Amino acid sequence: MTPFTYQRPAELAEAVRLLAAGAATTKLLAGGQSLLLALKERTLRPTCVLSLASLGELTGLRTAADGCLDIGATTTYAALTRSTFSGWHAEIAAVAGNLADRSVRSLATIGGGVCQADPRFDMPTLLTAAGARMRLVSASGERSLAAEEFFDPNGGTRMMASEILTRIWIAAIPALDGLAFEKFRFRAFEAAVVSVACALKLGSDGRIASARIVVGAVAKAPLKAVATAATLVGLRPADLRVEEVGARVAAEVAPLRAGQTLRQCYQSELAICLTARALARAAAQARKH
Amino acid sequence: MVRITIQVNGRAVSSDIDERMLLLEFIRDVAGLTGTHAGCYEARCGCCVVDLDGASVKSCNVLALQADGLSVATVESMSQQRLAPVEHITTQSLAGVYQPLEAMSSNSQDLHPLQAAFHRCHALQCGFCTPGMLMVLKNFLEENPQPSREQVRMAISGNLCRCTGYQHIVDAAMQAATVMHPDPA
Repeated sequence: MTPFTYQRPAELAEAVRLLAAGAATTKLLAGGQSLLLALKERTLRPTCVLSLASLGELTGLRTAADGCLDIGATTTYAALTRSTFSGWHAEIAAVAGNLADRSVRSLATIGGGVCQADPRFDMPTLLTAAGARMRLVSASGERSLAAEEFFDPNGGTRMMASEILTRIWIAAIPALDGLAFEKFRFRAFEAAVVSVACALKLGSDGRIASARIVVGAVAKAPLKAVATAATLVGLRPADLRVEEVGARVAAEVAPLRAGQTLRQCYQSELAICLTARALARAAAQARKH
Repeated sequence: MVRITIQVNGRAVSSDIDERMLLLEFIRDVAGLTGTHAGCYEARCGCCVVDLDGASVKSCNVLALQADGLSVATVESMSQQRLAPVEHITTQSLAGVYQPLEAMSSNSQDLHPLQAAFHRCHALQCGFCTPGMLMVLKNFLEENPQPSREQVRMAISGNLCRCTGYQHIVDAAMQAATVMHPDPA
């Protein structure tokens, strides 16, 4: 690690001010599970580390009046795992409880994982499929970004250096009828080789009204299989031929091309079966709904 | 330099530290408790796991500053028996601390049931990963009184053991679960 000063403001306004004063050389510290690795390897050399640990308004879960799930950015994966969610929101707890390992989950935060925006992480893929919104605060005010705009296709996020991610909003239960996430990793604590999240919304006739299929770890940001998802509209969940949809998703987001690495070929094959699994599960959930 | 205070095994330890000091270094070098092992320094091996305010964390991936004002429990807190270090190790001094396995129960003077189960099941060979394994499993078993073998395996997925092949560690955890929670609800 290179030397840095450490600050732990007690209020968000103070944190925003400190960050604005030296955004280029300051790094925000939530759980630190990604940041500390980067500091130790000196891939990051901030002169100031700003801890968000004392900011109460950044932590905890609440359900807004309109049924939106409002998750504080510094809520740990362990806290998410312990929470009880209803309907498809439960998939968030399930994903949070099945990433990294027990000791990392106690500190690692959902906001930290989202800001790190490593495409192999699970939350960016899941939140893009769930249509989450990120609330960002800076000295010049606040704004919110949909997950698909938040993650930059060239890697990283579209946050400005002077902004702090404060809360993550996830739509109320009626917004979706099914959400399922599937991933493959070599060892239990490793990041995903490929992850797929599917979200389905049925119309009043029981047919699919809208579908989102998002594939993670194949590009620098979660990739939406827009064209394939559009072809699902109007089908009954029971009539979905999930393997065939999986093959089309793989062809769209991770096509097999000459000169690819073995890993890329493997990812393409994984995308087929992971999409099939996620879609089958989301469809089953939607039918029960 | 910053002054911080961390409760380590119930004892308040204050020191002026460099901002870059890891919690692991604070525990070993400042508090002087070397039971917590430094393995990889990159949050992979899990040898450095300690309990931070009731949650198990890898202390090599936490700044000591993050734990300022919090309480830490290390592997030394698991049994009272060895909290006073043996200054000069001889056959005689060790004989004073050693108790036969039969005498070990969940009595606070003896080994923790998990430690006793590790001993009984041969869940360690070189012992380097053991402090981390014990701390993770203790935290896990307190939360999950009746785990399956699969759940125990997932709980220690962040802890590497290069000797045992994990089989005996899982055996020990299953045995300890029945001792820690004798009356399944």
